[in-house]
Amino acid sequence: MNIPLYVGLSTQQTLQRALEITANNIANADTAGFKVEELLVRTEPTVPPASPDPRPIAYVLDSGVGRDFRQGALEQTGAAFDVAIEGDGFFQVETDAGLRYTRDGRFTVDNKNQLTTKAGDPVLGSNGRPIVLDPTRSSPAIAPDGSVSQGAASIGRIGVYRFPDLAALQKTGDNLLQAPDDAQPIAAGDGVVRQGMVEHSNVQPVLEITNLIEITRAYERVARMMEQTNDLASRAVNTLGQVG
Amino acid sequence: MRALRTAATGMAAQQLNVEVISNNIANMNTVGFKKQRAEFQDLLYQSVERAGAQSSVGGTIVPTGVQVGSGVKAGSVYRITEQGSLTQTGNKLDIAIDGRGFFQVLLPSGETAYTRAGNFSVSPTGQIVTAEGYTVQPAMTVPQGATDVSISADGQVQATIAGQVAPQAIGQIQIASFFNEAGLEAIGDNLLMESAASGPANLGPPAANGFGKLKQGYTESSNVDAVSEVTALIVAQRAYEMNSKVITAADQMLSTASQLKS
Repeated sequence: MNIPLYVGLSTQQTLQRALEITANNIANADTAGFKVEELLVRTEPTVPPASPDPRPIAYVLDSGVGRDFRQGALEQTGAAFDVAIEGDGFFQVETDAGLRYTRDGRFTVDNKNQLTTKAGDPVLGSNGRPIVLDPTRSSPAIAPDGSVSQGAASIGRIGVYRFPDLAALQKTGDNLLQAPDDAQPIAAGDGVVRQGMVEHSNVQPVLEITNLIEITRAYERVARMMEQTNDLASRAVNTLGQVG
Repeated sequence: MRALRTAATGMAAQQLNVEVISNNIANMNTVGFKKQRAEFQDLLYQSVERAGAQSSVGGTIVPTGVQVGSGVKAGSVYRITEQGSLTQTGNKLDIAIDGRGFFQVLLPSGETAYTRAGNFSVSPTGQIVTAEGYTVQPAMTVPQGATDVSISADGQVQATIAGQVAPQAIGQIQIASFFNEAGLEAIGDNLLMESAASGPANLGPPAANGFGKLKQGYTESSNVDAVSEVTALIVAQRAYEMNSKVITAADQMLSTASQLKS
């Protein structure tokens, strides 16, 4: 049987996927609010059919993507509509496809004077409605609890929500996350809103490059193992075939 | 191999980043220039294994799922409309806006453009014009024989004429503001045009209703900060290199696979 080849193949497939995920991390090293990802693998033990040897074989399978939701570095930009969350929580955004969540707080205002993401989706306040600014007043000030005021007038409060189970969130691209239907967002009490700041991705370049090297070397190792297995088989055929 | 394409999107994004940074640095000494910033977003994710899918007949479910991202894209190039510092020039017709607002400029095509660059001068017919010779709106003519022009913080323009004691009012500058200043479309020559994203212009006299006040004898410098641009350049270059490393790694893996002896 060519079992070592199949085991090797399963490893190579997961390594290729791990490379894809590392490539995505590196490509998004400069994306605000991006959270780094890692492929989780598991062993899949199986008993070979009709084998005289009862030892089980362990294949490698990808079982999930782990997301590291740790805080990214905050950079001061001074822009009035750049808002970052320090601590737990996400901004709530209303898109055409439904509610989404994001850590990317580089907001702007649209032509209806609503606070929106750069894609034009309204950012929701803690009351679930968009935040509408008054163009005739001075530029908005955003307090650490998310409340927005222009001069003496209070405009609203930017909603910050968290989820008990972060693993259930799915990325949908455009820096947005989607929560499953049954997950209830909880108003985050400990997330501090910082105006004039941008949260960078939490990608650590050194770690990613190390992963990259590790993945390529592991791939080569497996390839060599497969070659040697093949060698063994061909030598066995040739040697056993010789008489005398 | 998807990793190759993913890394290519990363390199393209960093290339755009360097282009934006170089434009900022090139315009460091442009009057009224507002720096720009390339902003990135992650691309679509492909769910290879859905979270919540059954992983065995026993009813166990996949807790997290495998989602593979496909790289990065430029979401927007955003103009940061932060106030630039005001530089004293002593020139009578250099006007800076301290706060919100744009001067209105009549283009030869008849359209109105908007600018923060208030380094104006006088045309042969006495009109106040921009450095390109476009008339500043509302049009004002400095009378012949004027010895001095004074512009107040709220936009009153007065000329002192030789032989007359009282200065003569020659006009009132109106400035424009927009809901979304970052949505204005740049057309070069320090000029911006109204767009669907910016919303309609809201006109009014300076120093009232949230408009900035005028300062005569000053120009607004660009808000480009040399140190932060150079830092951004270094970061962009390193990020570009890292993405190229990914391409090398993916290429190496492909070559390992293709050199397997059968």
